[in-house]
Amino acid sequence: MGTSKVLKKDEWLKVIEDLRKGYKVFVPTKEGDFHFFREYKDGIRPDLNFSNTRLSPKGLIYPQSERMFECPLSKDQEGAFILKESPKDFGPQLVVGIRPCDAYGFLIVKRNFDNPQYRDPWWVRRYESTTFVGLGCNEPCPTCFCNAAAGGPFGEEGLDLLMWDLGDEYLIKPITEKGSNLLAKVEGKEAQDGEIKEAESLKKESQKKMDFSFDITPLKNKAQLELFNEPYWEDVAFSCINCGTCTYLCPTCWCFDIQDEVYKNHCDRIRNWDSCMFPLFTLHGSGHNPREKKFQRVRQRFMHKLKYYVDKYGNGIQCSGCGRCVRYCPVNIDIRNVIGLMCG
Amino acid sequence: MIRYTEKIRERARELLGQGKVDVFIGYKKGTVPLMNQPVMIKRAEDVDQLLWDSNCCLNLANYLTKRTEKIGIVANGCNSRNIVIHILENQIKRDQLYILGIPCEGTIDHRAVLRAADNQELLGYSEDGKEFTIRGAGFEKTLKKEEFLRTNCKTCQHRNPVIYDELLGDPVPENTEVDPFSDVKGLETQPPEKKWSFFQNLISKCIRCYACRNACPLCYCPTCFVDESKPQWVGKSIDPIDTMTFHILRAYHCAGRCTDCGACERVCPVAIPMRQFTKKLNKDAKELFDWEAGLTLETRPLFDFYKTSDYNEFIY
Amino acid sequence: MNEWSPKITAFLCNWCTYGAADLAGVSRLQYPPNFRVIRVPCSGRVSPKFILAAFRQGADGVWVSGCHPGDCHYLEGNFYARRKFALLKGLLEHIGIEPGRLHFSWISSAEATKFVEVATKVANAVGALGPAKYLIKQRAEVA
Ligand code: SF4
Ligand code: SF4
Ligand code: SF4
Ligand code: SF4
Repeated sequence: MGTSKVLKKDEWLKVIEDLRKGYKVFVPTKEGDFHFFREYKDGIRPDLNFSNTRLSPKGLIYPQSERMFECPLSKDQEGAFILKESPKDFGPQLVVGIRPCDAYGFLIVKRNFDNPQYRDPWWVRRYESTTFVGLGCNEPCPTCFCNAAAGGPFGEEGLDLLMWDLGDEYLIKPITEKGSNLLAKVEGKEAQDGEIKEAESLKKESQKKMDFSFDITPLKNKAQLELFNEPYWEDVAFSCINCGTCTYLCPTCWCFDIQDEVYKNHCDRIRNWDSCMFPLFTLHGSGHNPREKKFQRVRQRFMHKLKYYVDKYGNGIQCSGCGRCVRYCPVNIDIRNVIGLMCG
Repeated sequence: MIRYTEKIRERARELLGQGKVDVFIGYKKGTVPLMNQPVMIKRAEDVDQLLWDSNCCLNLANYLTKRTEKIGIVANGCNSRNIVIHILENQIKRDQLYILGIPCEGTIDHRAVLRAADNQELLGYSEDGKEFTIRGAGFEKTLKKEEFLRTNCKTCQHRNPVIYDELLGDPVPENTEVDPFSDVKGLETQPPEKKWSFFQNLISKCIRCYACRNACPLCYCPTCFVDESKPQWVGKSIDPIDTMTFHILRAYHCAGRCTDCGACERVCPVAIPMRQFTKKLNKDAKELFDWEAGLTLETRPLFDFYKTSDYNEFIY
Repeated sequence: MNEWSPKITAFLCNWCTYGAADLAGVSRLQYPPNFRVIRVPCSGRVSPKFILAAFRQGADGVWVSGCHPGDCHYLEGNFYARRKFALLKGLLEHIGIEPGRLHFSWISSAEATKFVEVATKVANAVGALGPAKYLIKQRAEVA
């Protein structure tokens, strides 16, 4: 896939800045205490000196709230009551500084939104028009476990380019054709052996720092009902407050809800992220709720990620090890412990 | 505060062992520094999981709603007030509870602590009296607890539990010097457009995860207004007006009930200081009705009684 | 172009203020035409959600009126309402709804003149503020 290049940090940032001419560029930027991906407009300061963004970048492809269809609602207007697709922007996007776990997360979501039975047109078009420039993690967080769940702190899957932070410079490695075409246009010196070795050793060092691992075999082999009926779910769920933090921050949670909103003489059909932690998620029109109890909802989240997904797609767990739910669950429900329980 | 841990374990062991309670609700150490986990202990031999330190920042009354067992529970000032409210609002019965009261020395603001660590992740936390120590990759810092108190703890006027079966230590002096509402007062003098933009800004990052609502013991309605569909009071997207409506109504539903325990603010994944809504209500409740929530079982909640002489000046 | 005039949602208690409005009508007393009246069984029936709903839908002002303290048809509905409204008004004004948008009154069914007076006062106050600016739900601002 072409050769890696090495650029001084400010040179590379200049390149990114110039790329705004051809792309809608998204960069991590610090707001208050945390980082968020924001469109790189004037006034936004990209900050690649970060551990990870508070919210995963999933919203760049799959916005939390998205207008799908719309129609006028008064008889005398043309097209009244006939839903039409809302105008959308599918122009080229460039996401710079995405962490390997989050890029891998998109591949997990892709299995749901882009498969032979079902293709989500908007997710697919946005994903395909996006180029992902990853930033490997020299210092993985103690709560991250991408090494066990995904491709590790310098994992390449799901990325078009991967950057290594070499101190004053970035080494930029092309992963896909898309990435390599982009990099080819960038002026910069080719990476030398020494730099490549340094990058390799950064990767090894970083991987060594990650201590959580598990073997997926029991998750595959145990029967769904066996796991479903385990006695530990009530205890796992005790502290849970059934908020949307874990699912909304997660790069791989994909569930949504569709709502019609009427404003004056206009109807919008909007889809919003939803969360299996909310009772409303499964509430039937009849008033019956098959997941009425908290522990059932907590169990669903983990069974989905760690069993149903595993069985359905045969491609690992529905988790990329980004560690967000571990860090930000307000009551410290730690998915690593649940993996331990389910594998035990 | 750590000194309470031993006493809690000891008493929980006895209470469970003697069958005085069926379960015991407290905190255990979490897997992430600064994050403790609420836990329900069922067997005397498990009590050594229990712990009390300056990171016990949630509200355990939240875990009592409609439970049927006999429950032992730890409660500091604010938590005990929410237990009172729970009893008054028939969410739990007084005689179901055995409350171990904790005179509280305040709890710490984990965001401020992380800021002091340049927002790097921590590997360890320990505390010793008025100081605590944090440890991360390549650094260790000892900090003064006093400087890292949560904002609600800084102005807390009821650190001693208001209801308990036993008190685990001598009462601590109450902090009556500070004005809990100086921030509210500051904003009150602003013109409407400033206030509106202040609150718009305040909630601009909200992702409607409802952690603030769910962490609060006051929010136990079987169907929350945000989930009602006939009529639908508020849209479900992250439209700023819908988000604002959510926050106004969430806060208002806590009117006359909020103890300023800060659980809502503590749990927000994007650090929204939504107590600015409830604090205004608390201030008005105090000024107009001389009311503070959850101080006694003897009076009905603020909106459940009235006086003919109530504040009337705003009505023509 | 039409000159702007305020739209005000009025929640009037069936047992008093609504009657006062009627009486004002039959007595041919003039009052401003800015009100969209919603008849409620008691001021205590007016949930804060109703008031927010009115503002969300673009009301320039909201007026709630019930029976004088002690005269409630249900004995004490207005006493409970008074506490609720006191805190609600404070909160809404704290987040930026201008003082002068939200009004409360006690008007008995015999007080047609008071009705006219208060209606005029409310209409003038809201009118002076101009069209509502905040908390108006528009088409969803989403991606
Ligand atoms: S596991 Fe944690 S983050 Fe997820 S719903 Fe429960 S309390 Fe919220
Ligand atoms: S609010 Fe008061 S009682 Fe509650 S934790 Fe803070 S200091 Fe303790
Ligand atoms: S609103 Fe917040 S501060 Fe008030 S009782 Fe609820 S959780 Fe505590
Ligand atoms: S916890 Fe924070 S992000 Fe979640 S709904 Fe509350 S304010 Fe919004």
